[in-house]
Amino acid sequence: MVDQLKFVQLEMMVLVLGLAVLIADLWMAPSKRRLIGHLSALSLGIIFLFSLRESYVDLVNESTDVFFNSRYKIDGLAIFFKRFFILAAIFVLIFAVDFADRIRSGFSEYYAFIIFALAGMMFAASANDFSMLFVSIELITITFYILVSYQRHRLQSLEAGVKYLILGAVSSAFMIYGIALIFGEAGSLKFEDLHAKQSELLGSNVFLFGMLFLFAGLAFKISAFPFQVWAPDVYQGAPTPTTAFLALGSKAAGFVLLIRLLVISLPDLTREWTTLFICISAVTILYGNLCALPQRNLKRLLAYSGIANAGYLLMGIVAQSEAGTAAILYYLAGYLFALITIFLIINLLTKEGEGEDISCLENLNNRSPFLAVAMTLAVVSLAGIPPLAGFFGKFLLIKSVAIEAFGNIGYFVLLAVAVFGVVASIFYYFGIVRTVFWNHKVDEITPVSVGLPIRFVLVSCVVGILYLGLLPNKPIKWVESAAAVENKSLLE
Amino acid sequence: METILFNIFALLAVLSALLVVVNPLSRNPVTSAMFLVTTMISISGLFVLLNAYFLAAVQILVYAGAVMVLFLFVIMLLDVEETARRKLRLVSLTMGFLSVAALFGVYKSSLEATYVKDVDSSQDIATADEIDGFWSEYYAAATSVGESESLVTVGSTQALGKELFSSVNGFILPFEIVSILLLVAMIGVILLSKKDTK
Repeated sequence: MVDQLKFVQLEMMVLVLGLAVLIADLWMAPSKRRLIGHLSALSLGIIFLFSLRESYVDLVNESTDVFFNSRYKIDGLAIFFKRFFILAAIFVLIFAVDFADRIRSGFSEYYAFIIFALAGMMFAASANDFSMLFVSIELITITFYILVSYQRHRLQSLEAGVKYLILGAVSSAFMIYGIALIFGEAGSLKFEDLHAKQSELLGSNVFLFGMLFLFAGLAFKISAFPFQVWAPDVYQGAPTPTTAFLALGSKAAGFVLLIRLLVISLPDLTREWTTLFICISAVTILYGNLCALPQRNLKRLLAYSGIANAGYLLMGIVAQSEAGTAAILYYLAGYLFALITIFLIINLLTKEGEGEDISCLENLNNRSPFLAVAMTLAVVSLAGIPPLAGFFGKFLLIKSVAIEAFGNIGYFVLLAVAVFGVVASIFYYFGIVRTVFWNHKVDEITPVSVGLPIRFVLVSCVVGILYLGLLPNKPIKWVESAAAVENKSLLE
Repeated sequence: METILFNIFALLAVLSALLVVVNPLSRNPVTSAMFLVTTMISISGLFVLLNAYFLAAVQILVYAGAVMVLFLFVIMLLDVEETARRKLRLVSLTMGFLSVAALFGVYKSSLEATYVKDVDSSQDIATADEIDGFWSEYYAAATSVGESESLVTVGSTQALGKELFSSVNGFILPFEIVSILLLVAMIGVILLSKKDTK
């Protein structure tokens, strides 16, 4: 028992940090709440360094049986996602400190919830069994129910919370029903056992039914097409740091589970269902991009663009290959930097939580040239214009599907839809850029003050976008090795 | 003795379950809720007959206790009079029949499941090793000790505790994550429902 604790050392540290934040609140003066937030972001930074240590990375080589009876797994994929989540949480925490004035009470609990959600995501990154999958997904979702409805004095926030609660509960019900059917058929909760007898299980309708239900539950988390209705309302109503973390963390957690389940454990099933996934992916891309066109509210626009991005990421699942998985990882990394930048700037420009309209960006290039440049880079990266991070992400995803494309007409349809989606998205993304630089109906020229921690986050995000875009060689090697370690362990 | 008890509990469970939905004497939701309690208790009696003592206790504590209190609260908060007068609708009837039919379909195809056939055809306990985890241990226990004795050990609270907490099985990790989940839910409820004090 005790010897297994070293496998969950990162998660333990994160959980202890969360509890410490809760307790620290008891004797810290309310005026020091910024300090708690910054300190916990700093501690997460230290935990991030821990995840880079060689002794941690070496755990990959341990035999899988020792990881809690192979219910938990540490491999390249898990470590990549753990680092991704920690990085996202650091940015979101610094973001939340800036936002704290708008929450009436419970500041340090807000930080603690972000940290607990992070723990859930890190467990999800390693989940190799249905009990772990369900429990970690629930830890993430239930924390987000609270984080979404945190601004109780705002009706919108409460409405978003209720909507997310009801739809989230329904999706969890779907998921647990699916898991029950799968367990009844396979007799085991472990992904490895499913992998071992997948050919046998494919013949059983009950198993397929269960997988369909499970996929529905996970598709809700990533907001893929038939389960996307919640996203715009929840993104718009939730406090902005919550929206940022929901868009990044919840979506990435859904994808790591999809990769582990569909690409790694049950490749035969995914091959059989290729048409289904192609349809979902294509319709999600179309829906997100077309619905984003008329939006005026920035958070709502980003919700629709988030739906479209879920569609693009699903292309990596459709590709069913190492290259597809690597492309998902690369895309998510670029998405992280772009999204954090955009949400931070929205937050800086709309101090009272009102007027998240696109017009708040007007005259930004005169008010703060730095913010204008950062916003432009992030938006252009999301649109997928070379040479920025988003371009390489989309390029790798499209390439991974194109390699597989011979012999199935569906792949070509998906590629056509993806390219069409990129073209359509340029329209609304460049609407934002136009507002920043050329739409000057309002003559407001009050400069925007940017605090030092926020400036740090923005600069690192911009550097990240440029680095992933201009020097893609090294990061591509990282994501490829993260995706490859996975398949190596499978072949044994 | 066991057969008689089983018949009593089974009859009680089915009867009171029927009375929950089609009670000729009363359409008061509170009466239905009370019959639901009877159903729960009879089912927990069935669990005891199956040597699942822990499940029986949890059934009474959670369902007959906590969940029922929640139901009663909801019934009392809503307008009971209106609910009592509502007529049965064709849509809900058809939906009910459809979902029952769908459940039967799932049940039928689960009987055709491959591994069930394997175990049946060979009649050999050794094939049970292929069925992993809980069931293989169950079968191992069933063969090593006498049948009745093994059932006692499998369903007991002790066996469940071992299943949950032993490091060999690995369920300890999700179990501990649930404790964090409960903590989060508790703090969240207090935060969202307390009066606004600065």
